[in-house]
Amino acid sequence: MAEDSAALDAQPLDSSPQRESALDDETRALIVPDAGDLPAFPSSAVEANFARYFVADFLNPGHDQYVYRHPNGLCVVGLAPAHVAFKEEGGITSVDFNVGKSDRSEMKVTGKRKRNAQHLQENSALCKVFTNNTSFVVRCCVKGSLLEINDRLIKQPDLLNTSADREGYIAIFMPKPADWLKIKDKFISYDDYKNLRGLC
Amino acid sequence: MPSINHETASRAMTATGGAAEVDAEARAILQRAAAVASFPPFHAVHHLLSVGVCVRCIFRLCGAFSDACTCLSLTASSLHSFIEEHDDSVKSVSCSCLATDEAYCSICFGVLLPTCYQDGAVEQLHSVTPIDNITSMISQAVQREGYQVDDFSLEISLPAVVAANERAIRLCMKEKYGNANWFSDKMFSQQTMPVKEALRLLLVPSLERQMNVKHGNNSFRIRLMYTHDDGSQKLLNLLPNDRGRKRKAESRDGSSTKRNSTDDDKNILSESDSFINKTLEGIQDQEFCSLFQLPPEKMLKPCHLVISCLRSPIYIGGRYLKLSRNVSQSCWIIDDERMGEASVEEIIGEHVRAICRGDGYKFHAAGREDIDVRMLGSGRPFLVEVLNVRSIPSATEVQQIADKINSSEKKHVRIRNLKLVGSEIWTMMREGEAEKQKQYTALIWTSRPLTDNELHNISLIKDMEIVQKTPIRVLHRRSPLERKRIIHWMEIEKIADGSNYYLLHLCTQAGTYIKEFVHGDLGRTHPSFGVMLSCRAEILQLDVTDVKMDFLQ
Repeated sequence: MAEDSAALDAQPLDSSPQRESALDDETRALIVPDAGDLPAFPSSAVEANFARYFVADFLNPGHDQYVYRHPNGLCVVGLAPAHVAFKEEGGITSVDFNVGKSDRSEMKVTGKRKRNAQHLQENSALCKVFTNNTSFVVRCCVKGSLLEINDRLIKQPDLLNTSADREGYIAIFMPKPADWLKIKDKFISYDDYKNLRGLC
Repeated sequence: MPSINHETASRAMTATGGAAEVDAEARAILQRAAAVASFPPFHAVHHLLSVGVCVRCIFRLCGAFSDACTCLSLTASSLHSFIEEHDDSVKSVSCSCLATDEAYCSICFGVLLPTCYQDGAVEQLHSVTPIDNITSMISQAVQREGYQVDDFSLEISLPAVVAANERAIRLCMKEKYGNANWFSDKMFSQQTMPVKEALRLLLVPSLERQMNVKHGNNSFRIRLMYTHDDGSQKLLNLLPNDRGRKRKAESRDGSSTKRNSTDDDKNILSESDSFINKTLEGIQDQEFCSLFQLPPEKMLKPCHLVISCLRSPIYIGGRYLKLSRNVSQSCWIIDDERMGEASVEEIIGEHVRAICRGDGYKFHAAGREDIDVRMLGSGRPFLVEVLNVRSIPSATEVQQIADKINSSEKKHVRIRNLKLVGSEIWTMMREGEAEKQKQYTALIWTSRPLTDNELHNISLIKDMEIVQKTPIRVLHRRSPLERKRIIHWMEIEKIADGSNYYLLHLCTQAGTYIKEFVHGDLGRTHPSFGVMLSCRAEILQLDVTDVKMDFLQ
């Protein structure tokens, strides 16, 4: 197609009037930033949008977890970088949300009011992560309604090894404001956690 | 035309115990009425007079009401004289219908005289007829508020007790004359003109003259609200199942005296009007007769009248640009604390409301953007619905609103193409909202530099489907769902060599979360921009550059 062959030349965008995105000068002037103002490494979406909390040795030595809390009150829970499971040979090989009494992956939360969400305690079991030789129980760490578990972990457990701090998150909770206030002082900041574990 | 209030006139004349003379005008009207087929025999008409029904209500009941009834010499007294001429059984000496007590019509409470009392002193101009008196009160009320009108419609609200009174009179007549050969069930019911209609006939021509505009369409409504507290309360007390209400009204302060707040009383009574209507509907004539005094006792007070005006909303629309990253679209206040510096809604709405001299406003926009996202390009279509404006703004005034906003010091908001529009625009804006495409430019960063080939390949992608789980940042107030959305096209340009920053231009389906498309929302939007290029992508800034909608361009 004529369109394709013209495109192969990769013309600079702002000089070609046929480009769908062509913006008028006034708008462009507002949009194009001054390259000098831009930081070399901007904050990530997680850093910018959440308050990051960490807990070391939760109920068991080496069971380090994080809680990312959004200003809207929701808490994302996952494994912190120095969790003992990552030290195992081969890392984490599978994840199971079936914790005996119920299979956390089977719940169906619906509606704005989040009906059918399970109300769990900090110490409730959230899931089990398996390594080649052993397994570890992961706890909720926050008391509240369980809104969502990351079901991608079931088919892609390796997400925990590659990006436990982002795509490898484990679950999302909605604690009541009062319940959050009670436990928030048990957590430490990212910097304190880094120092504690000697991470760079 | 007599130069004094006709009420006083009829009383003065009957003070001597005799009936008034019938003048030519009144005679003509009475003769015409008497010739109407539905007009009952004179002694029956006299009976109506003697139970306190006013002349105009009599004309109404007999199907003889017309605008001739504005005639001032059509008094109870002259009607009595006319009847006396035609029927020997009626004598003027000591006739009860000529009594001098200050009673008002036992059906309409004098509403058709027309008379009323209002809060505060009311100037009773001597050279003005009662009708013109009321209509000039109305006209003054409209002027006081500063309304400029081209036409008006009249809404009248009467207390439920008026209908009850009419029913009582009708049943009273049926009881007395039901067996007479001239009496038919149609009498006093089907041919009766309702009080509201009669009042309208009396007032509208005068009101048109006073305000110098025609009665017509609905956009400016004048409401006459008549109430009669005593009559309504008495009626309420007579109805069955009323004990609960009575107790409530009495026991508030532990005594049976009236409570302090007159407003509370009025609220209770208007609720009870619908209760009265509903209950009366369910009561058969026989039960009605047993509950009520027939004929009804004479009323010593007229109705209370409240005059209010309301103009139906007008719409002013256009497109707005939002140039600040600290201004929300709609007013955003949590726990008495405002988020951001200001809101587009308040900036535009308040300016519009002030120039139109309206009571309030509602802001409607075609979609919305986050507080930290600017709205650029041709702008986003919006409507301001202004309530109860005192005057409809001219094109010049509308331009003034736009100029005021555009030249404001703060430069948060720009307005384009502001104009007065019809209410159908609101529907147009809502229609097809979900299909409209939006165009954006995002300032993004990638964790590794992108090759020219990659940049080029991005521009080849058309109508790519993504699936977005409800973003975490709105998950607290929206349903957890997976939404399919389409990215129609993308174009990307480098900002500076070696910086890993790019301007991503994209056009998407309505309802697409752009920020989540770039950073992936912890993998909950898939595929995300980062996933497409197997790297981490972050978004620093977002601007809406086009809202593709046809109208308000």
